[in-house]
Amino acid sequence: MWRVRNMFQIFLVFFLWDTIFANSQRIVFGYDRQKMLTYIFGLIIVRALVLSSKANEVGGDISRGDIINLLLKPISYVKYWLTRDLSSKGINLIFAVFETILLYFILRPDFFLQGNILLLLSFATSIVLAILIYFLLLFTIGLVPFWVPESAWGISFLMLVVVEFLSGALFPLDILPVSVQSIINFTPFPYLLFFPLQIYLGKVGTLIMLRGIGVSFLWLGVLWLLMRSVWFKGLKSYQAYGR
Amino acid sequence: MSNNFKAEAEKTIIVERLVKNFELIEKKDGILNSFLSIVAPKKKSITALKDISFTIDQGELIGFIGPNGAGKTTTLKILSGLLYPTSGFTQVLGFTPWDRKPEFLKEISLVMGQKNQLWWDLPAIETLKLNQAIYELSDSVFRRNLNELTDLLEVGKLLNTQVRQLSLGQRMRLELIASLLHSPKVLFLDEPTLGLDVVAQQKVRDFIFDYNRRNKATIILTSHNMDDLIDLAKRVIVIDKGEILFDGNLQKLVEEFAKEKVIKLYFSKNTDIKKLEEIGKIKRINLPQVILAVPREVAAIAASEILQNFPVADLTVEEEPIEDVIRRVFKGEITRKEKRLLKPKASDE
Repeated sequence: MWRVRNMFQIFLVFFLWDTIFANSQRIVFGYDRQKMLTYIFGLIIVRALVLSSKANEVGGDISRGDIINLLLKPISYVKYWLTRDLSSKGINLIFAVFETILLYFILRPDFFLQGNILLLLSFATSIVLAILIYFLLLFTIGLVPFWVPESAWGISFLMLVVVEFLSGALFPLDILPVSVQSIINFTPFPYLLFFPLQIYLGKVGTLIMLRGIGVSFLWLGVLWLLMRSVWFKGLKSYQAYGR
Repeated sequence: MSNNFKAEAEKTIIVERLVKNFELIEKKDGILNSFLSIVAPKKKSITALKDISFTIDQGELIGFIGPNGAGKTTTLKILSGLLYPTSGFTQVLGFTPWDRKPEFLKEISLVMGQKNQLWWDLPAIETLKLNQAIYELSDSVFRRNLNELTDLLEVGKLLNTQVRQLSLGQRMRLELIASLLHSPKVLFLDEPTLGLDVVAQQKVRDFIFDYNRRNKATIILTSHNMDDLIDLAKRVIVIDKGEILFDGNLQKLVEEFAKEKVIKLYFSKNTDIKKLEEIGKIKRINLPQVILAVPREVAAIAASEILQNFPVADLTVEEEPIEDVIRRVFKGEITRKEKRLLKPKASDE
């Protein structure tokens, strides 16, 4: 069902920007009509790859105590969720491709196709990094119920709202004031959606692109270490109540 | 290799001076107090296990008994690696449980009456196949174990039914299969017959007995079902308030903790039964038979008094039934104090 919601969201954003760019010569915030619409359409695919996730259920799994089943088995809890996460992305990707084709025929926008192989490869790299960063973010947040079992839903929801806003899911981040942008660029969030799409659209120079990928790697490392330390601390204080 | 070390290595489970403290956050009722507990949480530490020690050999089937909240489940959770103890030494099959090494986890299983691992929306066979992959069982081993287990528990026809459509008893038996597919050497059973009807209980009990014998598996069982304990466990460990009160043979438990003896009488003619109340507690009257409970230490005197003053055809003095003793264990009536008080009195006799 959330895919239907997704479709409506896309419609909404599409028509909003379509109206703004009613005059096709107009350039707003450095986007012409074609690139803005490609951004919106690219969002469908990139969202399906990055933001569709199973790891947001980790918190519930822990607070309900279902985690016990997995702790008793000779498998890694992190890898278990990563696998579920990836398979969920696979399913979502299939739907997203289908939707994109459908919307393409309904809305008939003119697309911007990136031809530069190097940029496409960088795009792919940034997507993989984004997937892993997002997984680690959700997973680590999902471990909070080890200490505060009742927080499972609220904290994941807060996370989703922040991600939605700061990742560029609603609007391209470069329409924000430069000072705000430079702060956001230190967080892991823009590297989830906005940054990969910028690479695809060819809107960033090589230097900024390399810096962005570097920052992503840095965040990946930091989040990995954070996740591990939280995991082991969590297991120690886990009380496995009730069950 | 020293003899001492060898002896230790042969023990399947070693627990020494195990202590587990829990921290709880107290919440009082009302909105104001809810806010207060967020701002300044009041933490309370409770000791779930104080300094318990025991060892278990391979192939033993042990009953763990005690009232609710005694620390039974906590002990099982520590032994299966779910909880970190506060202090103490624990070893299962030569491993430290909470390291959760794959080689360790492949040899154990924890079955809890109120826990389910079967995927609710899928038929049970899907979960079982997932477990086959997780435990890295070959197809032939998987088939063999599965056939054996489904035959024993009589659930072969249910494997392809969606789990949500099964009854509790059917589901519990399938849960058992999912937990035993990898033939664990050590099995922790927490209330395995919870919520089952009498027939299903018996099936599960027979199965546990059989599994223990066939695979030389070490089993620890907790249950509030007396039949489970009497049928299955030879040795019991009584635990209350985090302390071990008794560890030994089930018969010994009765000898040590029975406060009363039971006198069975057959009267030869009608008599005034009311007078009997002065001697002991009348438990059942079914004339000409009367069953009487008397304090252990005066049983002999009571019996001779009855013989002198009543027209008795037959009289037997028996131990308090196991059920009654276990019932008192569950009620938490058996305490260390009682044990200390009881012994000197018994020697007075």
